[in-house]
Amino acid sequence: MAPTVENEWKKGSAELLILSLLENQPRHGYDIAGLIETRSQGTLHFHVASLYPLLYRLEKRGWIQGRWVEKPDQRRRRYYRLTAEGQRVLALQRRKWQEFAGAVSRIAGVENA
Amino acid sequence: MLEWKHEIAKRLEGTNLRAEREAEIIEEISSHLQDRYHQLRAEGATDEEACREVAVELDSTDLQAEVRDTENTVSQDPSPAGAATTGQWISDFLQDLRYAGRILRKSPGFAAVAVLTLALGIGANTAVFTIIDTLLLNPLPVEKISELLALNTTQAKMTAPSGELQPMSFLNVKDFRERTRSFGSLAAHSNPMAITMTDGAEPHRIFVEIVTANYFDVLGIHPFMGRFFHSSEDTTPGAAAVVVLGYTAWQGRFGGSSDILGRTIKLNNTLCTIIGIGPKGFKGLYAVFGPDVWVPSMMAEQILPAQQRHALSDRAIPLFTGVGRLRPGHSLAQARTEMNIVAAALEKEYADTDQGQAVTLRPLTEAAYGPERQPLFFGSVLLMAIVGLVLLIACSNVANLLLSRAAVRRQEVAVRMALGAGRSRLMRQLLTECVLLGLLGGVLGLLFGYGGCRFLWSFRPAEYAQNLADLRINASVFGFAFAVSVLTGLIFGIVPALRFSRTSVSEVLKEETRNVGRSRGCISLANTLLAGQVAISLVLLVVAALFLRSIQHEYTIDPGFETKHLALFMLYPGQVGYDRARTEQFYKQARDRIGSVPGISSVSWASNLPLWGRKETGALIEGQEQRKKSEAISAVVNTVDSNYFSTLGIPFLEGRDFTQDDRDISTRVAIINDTMAAKYWPNQDPLGKRLQLPRGKEFLQIVGVVKTTNYQTLGETPQACIYISLRQNYSDGMILYVRTERDPSTILAAVQGEIRGLDPAVPMEDMRTGTKVIDQALWWSKIGVGLLGVFGLLALGLASVGLYGIMAYSVNQRRREIGVRMALGAGQGEVSLFILRQGMTVVFSGIALGVVLALLLGRALSRFLYGVSANDPLSLGAASLVLLVVAFFACYLPARSASRMDPLVALRET
Repeated sequence: MAPTVENEWKKGSAELLILSLLENQPRHGYDIAGLIETRSQGTLHFHVASLYPLLYRLEKRGWIQGRWVEKPDQRRRRYYRLTAEGQRVLALQRRKWQEFAGAVSRIAGVENA
Repeated sequence: MLEWKHEIAKRLEGTNLRAEREAEIIEEISSHLQDRYHQLRAEGATDEEACREVAVELDSTDLQAEVRDTENTVSQDPSPAGAATTGQWISDFLQDLRYAGRILRKSPGFAAVAVLTLALGIGANTAVFTIIDTLLLNPLPVEKISELLALNTTQAKMTAPSGELQPMSFLNVKDFRERTRSFGSLAAHSNPMAITMTDGAEPHRIFVEIVTANYFDVLGIHPFMGRFFHSSEDTTPGAAAVVVLGYTAWQGRFGGSSDILGRTIKLNNTLCTIIGIGPKGFKGLYAVFGPDVWVPSMMAEQILPAQQRHALSDRAIPLFTGVGRLRPGHSLAQARTEMNIVAAALEKEYADTDQGQAVTLRPLTEAAYGPERQPLFFGSVLLMAIVGLVLLIACSNVANLLLSRAAVRRQEVAVRMALGAGRSRLMRQLLTECVLLGLLGGVLGLLFGYGGCRFLWSFRPAEYAQNLADLRINASVFGFAFAVSVLTGLIFGIVPALRFSRTSVSEVLKEETRNVGRSRGCISLANTLLAGQVAISLVLLVVAALFLRSIQHEYTIDPGFETKHLALFMLYPGQVGYDRARTEQFYKQARDRIGSVPGISSVSWASNLPLWGRKETGALIEGQEQRKKSEAISAVVNTVDSNYFSTLGIPFLEGRDFTQDDRDISTRVAIINDTMAAKYWPNQDPLGKRLQLPRGKEFLQIVGVVKTTNYQTLGETPQACIYISLRQNYSDGMILYVRTERDPSTILAAVQGEIRGLDPAVPMEDMRTGTKVIDQALWWSKIGVGLLGVFGLLALGLASVGLYGIMAYSVNQRRREIGVRMALGAGQGEVSLFILRQGMTVVFSGIALGVVLALLLGRALSRFLYGVSANDPLSLGAASLVLLVVAFFACYLPARSASRMDPLVALRET
């Protein structure tokens, strides 16, 4: 896939998106992918082949933690939750993103929505 | 939607993930894809459309690359390109190691038994290797030992095949140094010689080596402290009274004091200044026994006893061994040729002293053992073989333990294979576990080995402890222990690992998890291993028993002289500056005073310690002078006072003892033993015949013949011996022999008091009883037998534990069968008998094999045994009996517990 501007932006924001979605409750991968798609109204879509490696990377860094959960009459699923370290990173990334987005908007002359 | 799993697995190929991790990822992603598929279908897509959509999802990015990047990067560091395979391999290995650690932690009992078993085996090997490394492999801490050669004299026409090496005279060494070009430089050193050191008030006996100034340079060693000799200190006789102290002597006798340099000590009444401390671990060039101090050769006259005082100027006094470093580009053969040419020239020039002498040039590594080389070498090989067998038993025990665990592990292995773990990968994992066990055993074994060595070396005779080689635990010992540990892990791991990896996935997964016993094949493999263990244990026990019996016989050897009521004292009046007249007076006074002490029946003097006689070569018999050319006559020469023979209980066969009338001015006389008489005067009366001592100048008349005793070792083949009279042959240091009526240890103090009363300054050392002399002569043998015994018992212990473990396990596995038998009416006795019979069949076949092996091995050992045949029925019988009894109990205990089983409980369990 050719690197497009959108793809690069997506990559840059992917970590922030996932951490944000896990902020309030643990979620499994399919749930995360679905939420990104619906909340972005279809603008953002993560394929499995990039979503899961990203999750594993975050897990390795100790920002999130996965755990297999079995529920009656369901396949077991791996739920990810934010770790304390992840909380800190999320706060930091959020602030940086706001600064970044604000700066870009001010320069590019896009009205803040 | 299993095919998704397959598709994902295909895309993950080459990521080299751990099997469990890979399975997790597959499960997680396939679950996602399944959800997506169902959602698409729910939204109205056809099966085909949904599948296509999902496939696009999976292939949008390179999953393999993403996963590999994520999973295999340790922290954020990507491994450099090209190192990927090695890095992969290492990370696999670390994974395996972590996994193995977890597995072992999960079964601490198994791990403890296995590690302990291996540690015993590896410890025994390490201990023996340490001894061999110290004595044989790596004896001298000198620079480039392979370039160093030792130069000795031999008799050109030796009759004895042993080719006894002798030192050479100082002048000969000098000539070799000046006339040859093979060596960069040639140094010379004497053997360690006993002298008296006085530091403060107390005289001590220590050992000195007289060396040329370049000795340390030739060896390429550096002082631990201070300096070695300057060449200027070795040019003028008696000029430089300086001494280099050995490291051990410095530590042991001077407490390692840091202000030692510049201090003076008295060596044989000569004040010497300490100028340096030798390097740690260096104790001269004899691997086994070394000196405490070194002095320059020019001090020979001041330091040496009277007989050798002219060693620097008299070509007839052989004192030195040459040591030289080959010049680059010269070969040993060239050097030998050159030495032989010089030796031939010297033989012509100095026919008086050098006739019949040749030189021998040997690598220093060979020369380092002297005559002990062969027994040392043999002992080492034997011990190494024995501990190797002990280790084999330990390995087979652990292999059996692993096989027992097969039942539990089969499930795990099958699951991992089902998840796609390759067989080779699996074998690697299993072997990693075994190697980890081996390494843990190795660490503990190293400690055992170290402790064992310390323990063993603590049995060194205290008199010589400082002069005997120190056992060194060095890099090669660590290397050895490491190699053995890894090898051990592979050896005991390979069979179970092969067996595991041949596990058939589908069969195992179908089986019930619990109560899967060993397969029949497993049991029979275990039994084979056990029978082997029993056989090896028996062999080791038999060997230990044989040597025990041999040493028992050695103790009953009659050395030919009295030992039970004998005490001896080494006295060196010459070393405190006595002249000849005063020394002779001292000998007489001491004799008289001690002779009158109650409880002492007779007293005499002699120059030789019992069993420390040295053979001299080159004696001449009047009327048989041609013998000197065709064969050198060698004999032990001993200077003795009158009454020597009655004091030692050596019977006269003919003639008379030395008397007060044998003086300097009267006819010079000698007494010989019957071995010499029979050899050189067969069918003649030797009395009145005349002989000349090696390097002697006049003929001695034979006045008596005594019975042959042991002179050098216990039970030796009879050797010729010439006794000469103390009154006609002055010596400034002698050994006082005291014959007592009762236990000699009770009079030691009284004798000491008498001598102190004569002159407290006369150094006195080595007060010993005759029994102790024999004890010391058998020291090496005792250590050997002790080791063999310990290893034999270790083998027996390991084999019985193995036997017990296997029997207990097999009983446990067969509870159901036993329960059925009992339910059908089998009594307790029958059940016990059934189990016992099973175990003892293995034991008996092992014993049968062991007896055959022991008989074969015995042949090889027979020439090292004394007074006991290699197939000694008592040793074989006793060893078999011990093994049988121990094995019986190892089988009986599980059998008894089987017979006490409640059949109802046993049946309900399964």
